[in-house]
Amino acid sequence: MSASGRPIRPDLPDMLDVGGRQARRRRRGIRALEAAVAVPVVLALLLIGALLFDVITDTVSWQVIEPAGSGRSFSFAEGFAALGAWERVMRLELAARGVSDADADALLADPDERRVLRARNRVELMPWVDGRPFRWLVTTARDDLVADVPLIGGAGGRRELLASAEAGQVVVLNAWLDAGFLSRNASRSPMTAGLLPALLGSLLLVALVIVIAVPLGVGAAVYLEEYAADTKISRLIELNLSNLAGVPSVVYGILGLTVFVRLMRLGPVVLAGALTLALLVIPVVVVAAREAIRSVPPSLRQAAYGLGAARSQVVFRVVLPSAIGGITTGVVLAIARTIGETAPLLVLGAAAFVPRPPDGVLSTFTAVPIQIYTWVSENDVEFTHAASAAIVVLLAVLGLLYGLAFYLRRRFARRW
Amino acid sequence: MTQLRLKPAARARERIVGGLFLACAGLSVLTTVGVVLVLLSETTAFFADPAVTFREFFTGTQWTPLFADQRFGILPLLTGTLMVTGIALVVGVPLGLMSAIYLSEFAQPGRRRRVTSVLELLAGVPTVVLGYFALLFVTPLLQRVVPGLDLFNPLSAGIVMGFMILPIVSSISTDAMQAVPAPLRQAAYGLGATKRQLIWRVVLPASLSGIVASVILALSRAVGETMIVTLAAGQRPLFTLDPRETIATMTSFIVQAASGDQPAGSLASRSLYAVAATLFVITLLLNLVSQIVVRRYRERYE
Amino acid sequence: MTDAAKIPNETVRSSSIAAEEAAVVIGDLSLWYGDFQALHGVSLTVPRNQVTALIGASGCGKSTLLRSINRMNDLVDGVRVTGTVRYDGVELYDSDVDPVEVRRRIGMVFQKPNPFPKSIYENVAFGPRLTGFRGDLDALVERALRGAALWDEVSGKLRESGLSLSGGQQQRLCIARALASDPSVILMDEPTSALDPIATDKIERLIADLKRDYTVLIVTHNMQQAGRVSDRTAFMHLGYLVEEGPTDLIFTNPKHELTERYVSGRFG
Repeated sequence: MSASGRPIRPDLPDMLDVGGRQARRRRRGIRALEAAVAVPVVLALLLIGALLFDVITDTVSWQVIEPAGSGRSFSFAEGFAALGAWERVMRLELAARGVSDADADALLADPDERRVLRARNRVELMPWVDGRPFRWLVTTARDDLVADVPLIGGAGGRRELLASAEAGQVVVLNAWLDAGFLSRNASRSPMTAGLLPALLGSLLLVALVIVIAVPLGVGAAVYLEEYAADTKISRLIELNLSNLAGVPSVVYGILGLTVFVRLMRLGPVVLAGALTLALLVIPVVVVAAREAIRSVPPSLRQAAYGLGAARSQVVFRVVLPSAIGGITTGVVLAIARTIGETAPLLVLGAAAFVPRPPDGVLSTFTAVPIQIYTWVSENDVEFTHAASAAIVVLLAVLGLLYGLAFYLRRRFARRW
Repeated sequence: MTQLRLKPAARARERIVGGLFLACAGLSVLTTVGVVLVLLSETTAFFADPAVTFREFFTGTQWTPLFADQRFGILPLLTGTLMVTGIALVVGVPLGLMSAIYLSEFAQPGRRRRVTSVLELLAGVPTVVLGYFALLFVTPLLQRVVPGLDLFNPLSAGIVMGFMILPIVSSISTDAMQAVPAPLRQAAYGLGATKRQLIWRVVLPASLSGIVASVILALSRAVGETMIVTLAAGQRPLFTLDPRETIATMTSFIVQAASGDQPAGSLASRSLYAVAATLFVITLLLNLVSQIVVRRYRERYE
Repeated sequence: MTDAAKIPNETVRSSSIAAEEAAVVIGDLSLWYGDFQALHGVSLTVPRNQVTALIGASGCGKSTLLRSINRMNDLVDGVRVTGTVRYDGVELYDSDVDPVEVRRRIGMVFQKPNPFPKSIYENVAFGPRLTGFRGDLDALVERALRGAALWDEVSGKLRESGLSLSGGQQQRLCIARALASDPSVILMDEPTSALDPIATDKIERLIADLKRDYTVLIVTHNMQQAGRVSDRTAFMHLGYLVEEGPTDLIFTNPKHELTERYVSGRFG
């Protein structure tokens, strides 16, 4: 041990590592660590990508159909009409089925017959029919499915499909998420099933939930931020709110089933569903509204009080107008939650087959996620395509809502 | 000058407005009371039935309330729930912690915001969509690797649920790690610690309670999750710990029993409430514990 | 500090004010924030149509005293008050007095300009709208803005946001906003501490104008300002009112040693 050695840690080298080899090794180690901990982020992205890819490709499939209709398809030009494409193609199909022009006129003029035709026949511009692109084809609820090949991996089998198709069978590339999907009623047959009742059900549900949950949630937030002193009551409410946020949504469903559906004898109707979901999203609204209210500068409240505003006037004229951006963001997030929530509605008994849109708040209903659930649990490949089409719609709406929330958050970023 | 005196009308208006706000806040308490009352009354009625005993409920290995031969042993539902949540934690906790370390210790603020919103996106996907994905994408994929995997199985449900709880673990843990005071970090660097040593020896130990809280919260969320398991894990209560077999969880049984339209007041219907009460108690306890843990770590640094 | 620099048992007063000239009479006012006593038996008479300045080191209770006059302190949790504040023959802390009404008659201007994130017009109209004003609001807004010497600068852009104005203009907007409620007393809490010298000068001229129609009570930590704008000055120390009297007397011939040391700049 030299005199210049290290008296406390003689085990360590005497000199600084001036060559930088060790530093380089360390830097490499840190970079490797960074890469390792970034893996889950990549995995998450991959998962989202796989999910989107799977869902979107599931909305298109190759099918061999034994048609109950004429089995004829018509060129884009033949069936095209700016507004009345449905009627034009229907006429062509009726003619192909051997219905005389006069009878077709009579059928299409009678509103009841028209409705039946609409419900039973799906008139769509198919991307590909029997080897030719973009053809109008009328499919029906009574068509027989011979084969359904997924889009991915089905391309090679396309020729085989064409070759194997017997006389009278049609090979078609079916885009399930077509123009009519959103406007058709529900159906027992996947081919003609549409999302309209579920879409309108969800819309009505959201409207009711907003009407119920927003005033209550914002009111609770105002109480906690502007009125409550640090008393036992306000502490109880706070503790309770944070626990409510952790109650599984399925338990809310049981509360709704017992209180709204059975005790209040509403039955499994839109109002019962909305009341249940409102209870579920109130904590979401409260949290967002409290944060927004808290970000209103105290100097504004002081100014208002100093001018002789009563507490309620301070709330309605200063605090809420200034907090509106944050509150709106919370409302958008609550809408997103409402739209995607499934379990409580299932428990309420909303899973029954509902072919038509709700006609009031006391009407039985279905909603988009419920429809997805029932279609998936049909365990039928065609219903699976319908489910994936519905999922694409649901995710698109949610994407818009999250985008809106993101925009609002930036737009109303506090400027004080 | 009398204008300064209180005007009864103005005072009354203020009282009413304040009362309305209090009522809004009080409604949340009412909701809790409602949940507890509903669960308690029906569960009491359930256990009052001579066909049901506490002993069987907590130790029986058969759960068949919807069949003619009714058995009420909740263990199959508990093991089913345990398996799915266990798999979800095995997947979600390490991934969540890794991304928290990445976000807190490596990512620049701009990238941190972007990555956080990607993870939030994951949390925003409706669970019914995740259930679809588990059943129709993950299960077929797994069936190629895992022999004897049922169409409905807790393995794929658990894996997908792991990604669902990843953002919960990640966001709370990130907060906890960022709350580690800068002087503590500087002290470690000043002693010549490398970044890895800093993370392992300073950041993780100091943020341990936040991490624990995030895991408990994620566990609670996984226990209460319904749609993924209902769609992908099945609705067959089987007393097993084999993750390849179709099982049922507490939540999937609730959905099954409720959508089967059991007549109100029947024993089958009441069994649903007993399961829901069990679920409620478990999640409530988990939430309370995580809140206590979080409060403790907040106190330490604020 | 020498032994002589004790807080006096009785406030030192250079001259007294006749009861008929008083706008606000504070008697033996003590105030606690929880366990902390912020005011110790303060007695002060604020004369009508004059400017009274409250001076003292930070934390001496001058802002607290100001805020207890229009009962702004009621908004703080755990505040307890004893003593009296009489305004226009009414005891403001009587249980049947509405603090909201008090604040409508005794206006307030804060340290930092705090216009609402609304238009200039709406800022001024805020007070009148609170009380359901039914008359010619445009004229009232103009009068208030003229009263705050701001009309000429903003008459063409009343619909623009109050936040678009400069700091000094914002503060005059806040004064106009207070004037629009037609108070008789205006409390100002260090109204120029956030402003530059030019903006400060404008506000000080404005204060000199305001006393024709209003009673002004101003808290300031700037002694030159107190000297320039006020008729009377009260000096506070650690929650006690030490000395009070005509401003020139307080500055040229303070009677108490604490006052003397403060005005000569030896502490504070």
